[in-house]
Amino acid sequence: MNRKARFLVAALLLVGAVVYLMYTGVQKSAVYYLTIEEFLAKKETLANEGIRVAGRVTPGSVTKKMTAAGEELNFRLGDFKTDGDGGGDAKSVAVYFVGVTPDMFKAEGGSDVIIEGKYRGGVLHAQSVLTSCPSKYEAEATGAQAAAK
Amino acid sequence: MVDVGSLALAIAWVLAIYAIGMSVTGALRRKREFVASAENASLAVWGFVVIAVAALLHALVTHDFNIEYVAHYSSSTLPLHYTIAALWGGQAGSLLFWLLILTSMGAVVILQNREKNRELMPYVTATLMVVALFFLSMLMFITPPFERLAFTPAEGRDLNPLLQNYWMTIHPPSLYIGFVGCAVPFAFAMAALATGKLDDVWIRTTRRWTLLAWFFLSLGNLFGAEWAYLVLGWGGYWAWDPVENAAFMPWLTCTAFLHSVMIQEKKNMLKVWNMVLVILTFALTLFGTFLTRSGVISSVHSFTQSGLGPFFMSFLGVVLAVSLGLLIWRLPLLRSENQLDSMLSRESAFLLNNLVLVGLAFAVFWGTVFPVISEAVRGIKITVGPPFFNRVNAPLGMVLLFLTGVGPVIAWRRASARNLQKNFLIPLALGFVTGITLFAAGVRHYYAIVSFSLCAFVMATIVMEFYRGVSARRAMVGENVATALMHLISKNRRRYGGYIIHVGIVMMFLAITGTSAFKQEQQITVKPGDSFPLGGYTLRYEGVEPRETPHIAYLTARIVVLKDGKQVDTLHPEKRFYKKPEQPTTEVAIRSTLGGDLYLVLGSYDNASRMATIQAYVNPLIGFLWWGGIILALGTGITIWPARVPVRAPAYVPAGGRTEET
Repeated sequence: MNRKARFLVAALLLVGAVVYLMYTGVQKSAVYYLTIEEFLAKKETLANEGIRVAGRVTPGSVTKKMTAAGEELNFRLGDFKTDGDGGGDAKSVAVYFVGVTPDMFKAEGGSDVIIEGKYRGGVLHAQSVLTSCPSKYEAEATGAQAAAK
Repeated sequence: MVDVGSLALAIAWVLAIYAIGMSVTGALRRKREFVASAENASLAVWGFVVIAVAALLHALVTHDFNIEYVAHYSSSTLPLHYTIAALWGGQAGSLLFWLLILTSMGAVVILQNREKNRELMPYVTATLMVVALFFLSMLMFITPPFERLAFTPAEGRDLNPLLQNYWMTIHPPSLYIGFVGCAVPFAFAMAALATGKLDDVWIRTTRRWTLLAWFFLSLGNLFGAEWAYLVLGWGGYWAWDPVENAAFMPWLTCTAFLHSVMIQEKKNMLKVWNMVLVILTFALTLFGTFLTRSGVISSVHSFTQSGLGPFFMSFLGVVLAVSLGLLIWRLPLLRSENQLDSMLSRESAFLLNNLVLVGLAFAVFWGTVFPVISEAVRGIKITVGPPFFNRVNAPLGMVLLFLTGVGPVIAWRRASARNLQKNFLIPLALGFVTGITLFAAGVRHYYAIVSFSLCAFVMATIVMEFYRGVSARRAMVGENVATALMHLISKNRRRYGGYIIHVGIVMMFLAITGTSAFKQEQQITVKPGDSFPLGGYTLRYEGVEPRETPHIAYLTARIVVLKDGKQVDTLHPEKRFYKKPEQPTTEVAIRSTLGGDLYLVLGSYDNASRMATIQAYVNPLIGFLWWGGIILALGTGITIWPARVPVRAPAYVPAGGRTEET
């Protein structure tokens, strides 16, 4: 093999390695990212799959209880327009979470959250509850303030 | 003052267009006075941007809440340094701040080079002004910073409490300086392509600028990591969040560029590659800004969604089309004057280092935009998480670490058996001994064994380089060790500064390996008096005390830390409830030792039962990340510092600006 070919082979090997790592990496950690509407439309096909669902906590649906495993959190996740208020299972889904409630999660509901977990037996079992970025929080606060004025 | 600000921006906008037109016309028609006028116009743009920034700062400091931006991001009770930091706390302000850095750097570039690099400068000026014009247009038409409200609120909404943090004052500016700094080598590269002056003048001229940009990118990333670690309270410092990736990708390509330009300077090779890297780096800085501003990809950082996304995307498209077009047009002039001789050579090591860095950047890019791609292709958003990034980055990181030891000491062209033996026998032996010792000690985390062994290998190569240099000076000049070391470094700053940077990198690898392989964590709910063990410590929860000030209500937990039955510390993780805006935050408590950190978070607290959920983490070796950063900064400082009067000055400085060598 001449010199050029050898370098080419070495470079291709490296590219191959990167592609292989990326491919297996995606296999290992791919998670469906859905909005609550998408989730509600096809939740039964998603049972036991790793999913992330974005939605808004239905106001008044949050209950908290302290247990030995951490804080037990039950609430309903609804869409961004109606907040899933009064729509029942067609408009929202029950979420169950044990752990540490994030700082920005409002007990009265209304927080925009991303739930990561699995859907099982009619309940979304959350591994993590992520609250949306601070700036969105600010944007909402504007609305509230403007309304107050 | 505010109208002055808007007016200044408008004038700057007009002047930027004038500067672009005049410098290109001047270059094409060879009219020196046109070019000079364009350069002066660019300096004036800088002046007007300074005025605009001063106007916004004035509005912030005087609490002019009639200005929407001021009302949004500050309040009358916000401490002065955060009021100033609010300049880059919001969107319009951060674009303005960005523009300030860009035009300031542009002004320095023009003053430095207008006489030295007459041929390149018109296009350098034009390129920088095109970028400035883009930002000015955003500020004029899309997110004007001086927008007034219809009414004047009595009080501002204040800066987000998460941003009211010491790191907030330094993390964004350093990233911005890093991002914007990449525009300077890009501008010179464009000028080189446009004029066909494709020798290494553009590279030598911008070497310090590139290093400066790289330095601030490194610091920006590190400060961000520190901020995340101290403020966000999840026990880690890096989450592969899209915005972190946005700052990491240009760092990777910039690192590749810094290494590959050495090959061009020494061997006149890789000319096309260098062009590609500098274009890529600049494009990634724009892409990073686009990611943070557009909200296309959900991230903890995303600023409020705004109409900026499409503009950034279009500008990015134009930049790529024009720069790659120029590159293709000039391909015939960019032939290598040499070729690779052997796999076992410094050229090959550098080339491999470049391929790995760019491969990493590509993998990170792919993972970051994966949701967008999968949605376009399959109609469903699929995200990939940290496991994806770790899987790709860990093995490639090991290759990079190995090359960090090989690259600087392996011979140019073709390494002889003697060269290999002299340079690598001892380090390799040390690496193996480290690995075997760790295995014998019971470590079964194979990544960690490989990583620590490679760290030992790289450190040995560096120490040997210093040892050889110092011994040679002692033998030849008869200096003592300390003087010899000082002179060794100061007479060859670029080389030894580089080694010191590598030491910093090795330290960071230690920390990253320690935290990712041996991190321990526990989440537990406890009653007062309960104890639990973690990572060699026993932690005893003693209760929570409430405390209140007019602005903040506190819940402070008291946790006694015991080691071998003896009390070594008491930690106070805390929850704070800001009253305006109403928002709770978490204050972590950390006990740092050489071996690592004990990191405690008060998760939740129940007043009735007095039970608390504690999240406890042991992060081994994490301190090396920050100390590594300090060493890295020191090394870069040494490399970048202008040499004083050269000891052996050349008889004359050749015309054409070869004085920028470091």
